[in-house]
Amino acid sequence: MDPVGEVLARSAVVSISATLVALAIGVPLGTALALARLPGRRPAAAVVNTGMAVPTVVVGLVVASLLWRSGPLGGLNLIYTLRGMVIAQVLIATPLIAGITMAALQALPADLHDQLIGLGASRRQAVVRLWLEARVPLLAAAMAGFGHAVSEVGAATMVGGNIHGQTQVMTTAIVEGVGRGDFGAAAAYAAVLLGLAFVINALLTSVQQRSSSWARP
Amino acid sequence: MGAALTLRDVRHRRGGREVLRVDALDVAPGERLAVLGPNGAGKTTLLRLLAAIDMPTVGNVLVDGVRTSPGAVALRRRIAYATQRPGLLSTSVRRNVELPLGWRRVPRPQRRARAAAALERLGVAQLAERRAAALSAGEAQRVNLARALALDPALLLLDEPAAALDAEARQAFLTDVERALDASTTTVVHVSHRPEEAFRLAGRVAVLADGLIRQLATPEALLREPADATVAGVVGYENLLEAEIGPAGVVTVGGRSTGLRAVGSGPAVVAAWAAGVEIRPAGCAGIPATVERVSPGPGRWEIALTAPMQLRAHLPLGASPPRAGERVAVVLDSGLATVVASPGQASRVRVAPASPACSPS
Repeated sequence: MDPVGEVLARSAVVSISATLVALAIGVPLGTALALARLPGRRPAAAVVNTGMAVPTVVVGLVVASLLWRSGPLGGLNLIYTLRGMVIAQVLIATPLIAGITMAALQALPADLHDQLIGLGASRRQAVVRLWLEARVPLLAAAMAGFGHAVSEVGAATMVGGNIHGQTQVMTTAIVEGVGRGDFGAAAAYAAVLLGLAFVINALLTSVQQRSSSWARP
Repeated sequence: MGAALTLRDVRHRRGGREVLRVDALDVAPGERLAVLGPNGAGKTTLLRLLAAIDMPTVGNVLVDGVRTSPGAVALRRRIAYATQRPGLLSTSVRRNVELPLGWRRVPRPQRRARAAAALERLGVAQLAERRAAALSAGEAQRVNLARALALDPALLLLDEPAAALDAEARQAFLTDVERALDASTTTVVHVSHRPEEAFRLAGRVAVLADGLIRQLATPEALLREPADATVAGVVGYENLLEAEIGPAGVVTVGGRSTGLRAVGSGPAVVAAWAAGVEIRPAGCAGIPATVERVSPGPGRWEIALTAPMQLRAHLPLGASPPRAGERVAVVLDSGLATVVASPGQASRVRVAPASPACSPS
C-alpha cells in the first residue's frame, strides 16, 4: 500500500474536487427544481430524489462502462484515473446536493422569493439571497456530498482500479488491507480517513452554526 | 398629468380559469387607492401583476406609461411591494432595510441614512441592530413597511399589512402607517379585506369580488350608495335582505313594507346597518320579528332577530335591550338603510322617507 500521507492527499483532492463540482451542478439544479414553474419539474424532482438513493456500486458500474476503453467515452482515457474517479463521485454527490437544496429552498417562506423581486431584486440577486437564507441546510448539503464522496468504495474501485501510486484512495486502501489480512494497516487508514472527514465537517459545521445564530429568534 | 398606474383590458387566467378581469383602472400620481374584497377575490393576484412579478395573460399594466414585465428590472425598481407576511431576511433589521437600496446602487452612507430615516418614521429606529428573526409580528410589519418606504418608490404596493396583528396592535400600526404615508407623495395601492382599514388609508376604494372591480368610489360613496348587494356586503352592511320593489316604489321585505322607497320594480336587496334596525314593541308598524339572542358588544347590545329572515340590530349599551324570545316589530332607519340591486341587476336609486314614531296601543 502507498504511504498514508500520499493516499490521504489523493483522497482529499478527489473528494473535495468532486464535492465542489457537485455543488456547482447540484445547487443550481436544486434551485431550478424548487423555484421554476416549468413542465416536467415534478418528474425531474423524483429523478433527483431517486438519485440520492442509488448505490455507489451502480454508479461505479455505469461510469466504468462508459469510460472503459471500448466504451462510448473510452477515447477520453479516463478509466483508472483520478479524473475518472472525480466524475464518478460527482455523479454520487450531485443528486444528494440537488435534493437537499431543493428541500431547503422549498422550506423557506413561500412568498420570500416574490418579496425580493417585489423589492427590486434581479432574478440572480433574489436567488443569491435565497441561498444565503438557506445557508445552514446548504452547508449540510455540502457536508453530505463530501461525506458520501469520501466514504464510497465501490465506484472508486471500479473506476479508479486501486492502482498503487496513482489511484489508490483511503477507502480502497482499507479494503485492500482487510483483503490481505493486514487489519492494523486497514485500521490506521480508517482512523486517518475518519480524521479527514472530521476536520472537513468540523470546519463546515463551525460556519454553519455561526450562520444559524442569525436565523434563530 | 398622466396616471401613475394604468391597467387596460387586463385578463389573468390561472389553472384554466379567469381569476382577474380589469377593463380599465387609472391611479393618479400621489393617489392612495385601496382594493377591498373578500379572501379569494383576486386582490393579491392584482398586486402581483402591478409589481410585475406575474404578467397578465392578456392586457397591459403601465407604470408612468411604461409597460411592466418581470425582466424590466429598472422599472421594477420604481415599485416597492410589501407582501402580507413580512419576508424579512435572517440578518439585522438595518441590513434588511439597506439591502434593496444596495440593489439600486445607492451609495453606502445614503443607504444607512435612508434606512435610519425610514425606521424612524415607523417608530422602530431602536430595533436597527436587532436580528430580524427576533422581532414581534407588529415590529416585523413596521420594518417591512420601512424597507419599502426607504426606497422612495414611485408606486408602493401593500398587501394586507395589518392582517397578522391583533386589534390593538393593528390600530397603533395603522396610525403609524397613516402618518408615514401622509408624509410621502408616493402613489399607493393597498389591498385589504377590512373595510375600516381600506377607508382609513385610501382616498378611493375599488371593491373587488370574483376577480371583477364591482365599484370604484370614495369611501363615503361606497358606504352610502353601494352599487349592489356584493359591494354592500364587502363594505360591511350587516343586513342584506331580499326585497321587492312594488308599485309606487314601495320596498317590501317578506311582504311587509320597510318604509323605504326606490325607483324601478321587481326583486332588490335592502342593505341595512345593524345600527339602523330599530326595535319597537310588538303591535307597532313594522316587520314582525322574534328576538333570538342578545349579547353585549363594544359599547352596544348585539341583537339577533328572525323576521323570518335573519337580522342583526345594535342598541346603545345604555338602552334596555329586549329579551330573547320576545316578539317585536322592526323598522329600518331610512338614513342607515339603502336599496341595492340584486346580483345581476342594474343599480337602483333609494328614496328615503322618514319613519313615523310609534306609540303602541
